[in-house]
Amino acid sequence: MPDLRIQGVTMDYGPVRAVDSVSLDFRDGELTALLGPSGCGKTTLLRMIAGLEAPSRGKITLDGADITALPAHKRKFGMVFQNFALFPHLSVAENVAYALAIGGMGKPERAKRAAELLDMVQLADFGDRRIGALSGGQKQRVAIARALAQNPSVFLLDEPMSALDAKLREEMQVELRLLQQRLGITTIVVTHDQREAMTMADRVVVMSKGRAEQVGPPQDIYHRPANAFVADFIGRTNFWDARVEGGTLRMGDLRLTVSPAAEFMDGSAVRAAIRPEMTSFDQPMPEENRVPARVTFVRDIGSTRDIHIDTPFGPMVVEYALGESNALFKVGQEIDVHLPATAIKVFPAAAEAA
Amino acid sequence: MSAPDADLARTFEGRPGRVGLSLQGVLRGLMMALVCLICVVPFGLILAVSLGHKVEGAAWVWGFEFSNYTRFFVGALWPEQWSDLYLQKLEYSLYYAVIAAVLAVLTAFPFTWFLTRLPRAAQARWLIFLLSTLSLSEVFVVMGWDILLSNKSGLPMVLRELGITDWAKGNGIFDWARANGLANPRDFKFKTSVFATVLTMAYLVWPYAVILLYPPLSRLDHSMVEAARTMGARPMQVMRTVILPTVRLPLIGATLLLFVLLLGVYVAVSVFADPAQQTIAISIYDEVRGATLNAPFGAAQSVILLLTAGAFLLLGQLILNRRAP
Repeated sequence: MPDLRIQGVTMDYGPVRAVDSVSLDFRDGELTALLGPSGCGKTTLLRMIAGLEAPSRGKITLDGADITALPAHKRKFGMVFQNFALFPHLSVAENVAYALAIGGMGKPERAKRAAELLDMVQLADFGDRRIGALSGGQKQRVAIARALAQNPSVFLLDEPMSALDAKLREEMQVELRLLQQRLGITTIVVTHDQREAMTMADRVVVMSKGRAEQVGPPQDIYHRPANAFVADFIGRTNFWDARVEGGTLRMGDLRLTVSPAAEFMDGSAVRAAIRPEMTSFDQPMPEENRVPARVTFVRDIGSTRDIHIDTPFGPMVVEYALGESNALFKVGQEIDVHLPATAIKVFPAAAEAA
Repeated sequence: MSAPDADLARTFEGRPGRVGLSLQGVLRGLMMALVCLICVVPFGLILAVSLGHKVEGAAWVWGFEFSNYTRFFVGALWPEQWSDLYLQKLEYSLYYAVIAAVLAVLTAFPFTWFLTRLPRAAQARWLIFLLSTLSLSEVFVVMGWDILLSNKSGLPMVLRELGITDWAKGNGIFDWARANGLANPRDFKFKTSVFATVLTMAYLVWPYAVILLYPPLSRLDHSMVEAARTMGARPMQVMRTVILPTVRLPLIGATLLLFVLLLGVYVAVSVFADPAQQTIAISIYDEVRGATLNAPFGAAQSVILLLTAGAFLLLGQLILNRRAP
């Protein structure tokens, strides 16, 4: 039975609907990432789970008990804020022990527990420091330790890496995931960084315009996007417009086969998509789904090479990983590109990316 | 670059620098002169006058004696007789100013806190309203409170007509008010009283308190409040353990500033304070422009008041420095 469940949760700010009837189950011990662009409602959803906002409609339950109207101080879900929200007037150890002091724990016990938590986040010798004397990464560790001090049933993190530099962010993603797995605590992370979500999450909830567009494991979301928005938001995708003709795609004189066949009525306008790394110039190339193209730009960034091409139905990017191909490409070069039938995804034209 | 070229370059580099420096020097000198003219010269004059002495039946003459200062601390008849009359006045100055400053900050704090939670447009409207109230002179404000607290037509009359006075007589509240100088045998009375004096003084500086507290409270990171809530803190616990400690320095600073401002309040004290409980500000006016006309002694009292304010500000600075993280 899932520990935390939200059913039909909606949040309206006047005429603006920030969260639109979202229903999700957060499984015990799993890390779920709420992923989406800015303003998609993911932080509002997290704040409703924390009890910092009351939903306009819907229900939030924890172990079957309705906690929708329960204020934040009674839910006691550990939460890490985007800017860490550490108390500048308290030392590191006092910050970590804050929840315990509020809970009435004696001074020696909470000092011991704070020391354990600081040790857990590798800040054992930092207890007496002022918050202002810490780096961004250290502040984040203190915020994590503080949120975990009260042994919360649910651990919430609102864009926890956004204040860190790129290198530290990657290190902390792995570190946080390992810590979460060690503690086995139900965790919800809000992020707009799909790489962060893919690194840490057991399940990803892709959100757009207040709705949950797709829920699933990261690899499922990447390889089997439910709609054009998800395909566009997660990873890079080449999109083009087409019409369906007998399960295949028709773009002017060109026809592409799709496997499985596109299940749309003949003549339907659709949006087709393919990942850059799924397309190739490799020889020998099958006759099927071979498209003439011209190289317009080559971008070599070391680990990967992007070859930008013009096709009869629009521009595309073909990606090669390091060592995958030694072929040389020149701007203006005429070349055929292969779009494998199994790699092409077809979405209704109406469900275009936001 | 050849050696002559380098010399030439240094010569040209030097010229604008010298011109810039001299212009800067002139501006700096002008600024210093202005500061001297505005602040130091008047204070110097007051200090000089305070060392002069009054000539009975005439004005006063320059001198270099400390009799005005000794009179302040031990009385005019010392060593035959000791009097702490002016020390008492100073004590009342400090007493009223401390209570009114604390009262103003204590009442302005929750108001400002809720003000910062309002939408931006509403905040702006409130701030404009508060700033506009600062245009009211002390005389005008005191006149309003004078009417409001007057024994025949003000609050005592309202309390009497509403039956609250009779009700208070039946349960001991009236006796308590009488014991504290807030009632005569028949009615509540607020003039003259410490209560009315302090209330009016607090009202006078209340908009300043809001304006002083607004920037730190509006800058307060609200996510700290939310973080405390997620850790089990109730609203009052959040206030006690997070908000107040975070803004304690601005709170102390605002209280100090209002305290210094209130040391010089004249009209409110002259209207609402009992004659035996009046302040140095009243005494200074009496000496300089009023009945006693002893400018050197008035100047000496001004210097002592100024030094007292300075001492409190220094003390506040020490406290702030010690508590600053």
